Amino acid sequence: MKTKRKKIITIAIWAVLSIAIVAGLYLYAGKEPFIRTTLSGLTLGSLFFMVAAGLTLIFGLMDVLNFAHGAMFMLGAYMGWQLYTNPTFIFALMPFILAFSAGIMMTSVIKPYLIRLKLPDKWVKILPRIGYALALIAAVLSFAGLDILELADTAMVAASVATANNPLAEISPQQPLAAFWYRPVLMLLSGLFLAFASSKPGVKTEFALKENILQKLLVPILLFILTIFAIIVRESAPEAILLMNGNWRFLISMVVALAFGFLFGAVIEIAFIRPLYERSFFIVLMTLGLSFVIRELVQLLWDPLAYQMVRPPLFAQPGKAANLLEWLRNGNATIDIYGVTFPTYRLFVIFLGLIMFIFITLLMTKTRLGMIIRAGVQDPQMVEALGINVKRVFTFVFALGVAMAALGGIGAGPFLPIQPLMGDQYQMQGFITVVIGGMGSYVGAFVGAIILGMGRAFGDYFALKLSLSPAIAEASTVIIMVIVLLIRPKGLFGKKE
Amino acid sequence: MNNPASQENILVVDNIHTFIGQFHILEGVSVKVPKGSITVLLGRNGAGKTTTLKSILGLTPPREGKVLFDGIEIQGKRAFNIASLGIGYVPEHRAIFRSLSVMENLKIAERKKGDFNRNADFIFDLFPDLERLYKLPGNHLSGGQQQMLAVARALVPDNKLLLIDEPSEGLAPILIQQMMEAIRSLSEKTTILMVEQNFLMASQLAKRFTIIDDGKSVEEGLMTDLVNNEAIIHQYLGASIKTRKELEQQHENKA
Repeated sequence: MKTKRKKIITIAIWAVLSIAIVAGLYLYAGKEPFIRTTLSGLTLGSLFFMVAAGLTLIFGLMDVLNFAHGAMFMLGAYMGWQLYTNPTFIFALMPFILAFSAGIMMTSVIKPYLIRLKLPDKWVKILPRIGYALALIAAVLSFAGLDILELADTAMVAASVATANNPLAEISPQQPLAAFWYRPVLMLLSGLFLAFASSKPGVKTEFALKENILQKLLVPILLFILTIFAIIVRESAPEAILLMNGNWRFLISMVVALAFGFLFGAVIEIAFIRPLYERSFFIVLMTLGLSFVIRELVQLLWDPLAYQMVRPPLFAQPGKAANLLEWLRNGNATIDIYGVTFPTYRLFVIFLGLIMFIFITLLMTKTRLGMIIRAGVQDPQMVEALGINVKRVFTFVFALGVAMAALGGIGAGPFLPIQPLMGDQYQMQGFITVVIGGMGSYVGAFVGAIILGMGRAFGDYFALKLSLSPAIAEASTVIIMVIVLLIRPKGLFGKKE
Repeated sequence: MNNPASQENILVVDNIHTFIGQFHILEGVSVKVPKGSITVLLGRNGAGKTTTLKSILGLTPPREGKVLFDGIEIQGKRAFNIASLGIGYVPEHRAIFRSLSVMENLKIAERKKGDFNRNADFIFDLFPDLERLYKLPGNHLSGGQQQMLAVARALVPDNKLLLIDEPSEGLAPILIQQMMEAIRSLSEKTTILMVEQNFLMASQLAKRFTIIDDGKSVEEGLMTDLVNNEAIIHQYLGASIKTRKELEQQHENKA
């Protein structure tokens, strides 16, 4: 009872305090500037949340500070932009990725048989190494002679040449099927070798059941069929997508960024982070290193330039909409909100952040997976002791976090210049958000993001109005962090130190 | 328990060595757990009893030695695989999930859908309090209720073996009695290997014992033999632990 009363009093104090601050700002700034600044604050907050949500979930469950989160935000923007402007590059790589994953997915099918093989110790040691080596050779051969840089350039060319009426101004030729077919086959082989090596033939301590082999075979078969499909459509699909209505194309590019982020996150976690859980310091170095590698790769593929993504038609028509309905009908670029002219795309970003928050809330509170994640934040060892594969949950959470960052990236695409460093600032603010909200709490990340976005927007406003240096506006987020940490060292909703 | 089938060992721990970091915690522990009864691990604080349970479950995997569960070698396997074979774990310090409700704490332990519904009646018969607290968050429970929830959680799937770590730790005497009753009725359904500092409780529940001292298993046998063997009790369990005679006397005096 005592704790309950204490809680109510705390909430009341916070509520009074925030109402006082809001009212003070309203009276001081006046109605229109207040609304405009609030809306920009919400837009910023929404972007901060998309970065911070993944960071806080990953940190809460696995104690991993992902310094590559900003790079993944940037990568999401690039992927979405590629699909939106000219998806040739993505579709050209699809057969490779699908064939490779079809091979890897065979692991669960062959592992139960391979680990039961009776092999001499020498072979148990050597076979995986041979497998890894063969996988590498096959992968290299598969890409040998393919001009990836030229494929990557297609979107840049398209961006400069294509017009609204003729989005197909420059369709880049691809290798004919007769000369291309062996590449995915080699990639499939590479995946199979990797599956062979990672199932550790002859190792008795490994564990895999022979049950449901047919069911497990379904996934690789499905991926194999998709590979064949991807090989066939690799030239026509980019055209088909470019002929689509821009709104649909934008929706697809968001889905692609999301899916790409999820898969990329899963691969990163399994390949680079999982082996290092025992040595957490190395994870920091690993993610930091990853962020550099990703940035350099992007610069290599797309040059260190900034691109401007064309806004989808729904946000592009000149003119101001009087209300939401009119905007949805005409696709105006700006909308009137209580007398303030506000870009519709930014309204969409706020909406996107809200949708993401609702999605995470439902996931965490209504599903078994969310229950496992919440339990894992407290005690992953006990969750494992219940018979739950915690490492798989780790992979999922990491992948989900990266997927959200990637979606944030493409969400920011139409109003931020797309360039290799675009994620860095958001990663920094994302970390501050996580610290304010409390490590591991997604509600905290949401509240923290709003506070931070508002702080930044009003900081900018006052810096302009009182002719202060813009550095003060940039410092406003850090000042908020210091104040919050002085009052609550664990952050607003934090349970973990 | 006189039929020969009950003499079969469901768990055999054979000379395991476990390291935590650089520290050699277990230096050769062997435990046999016969099917259908309670076996207790005894020993001083820090002797390695908890580590033994964790090593069986694979939470601190042993570097050497063998662990046979139900005829299968499980050493070196991942903890979730071992648990899925049918081992339930009740950790020390009432490690329930405090941010989850009582219901969620039980539901999370399901290995197949419907596990909880199938065993709900049995669990609530054993711990009637939990039914009343069903919707409360775990951090609103008292210490005793948390301990009951921790035991109940291990009963949700049909486990063949329960590893229980200090069920009476920090409980009020009346709750210890209740916990003892619960564990006794559990032992009719499944096999139990437990760690217990409360010698009175251990001696009344367990059929067999294994004493672990300084990371090695030093004595094992029937509990009925141990309670009268003052020499062993004083050598390995310390002067603080009294023989049954003394304990019973103390008990009578209190009453």
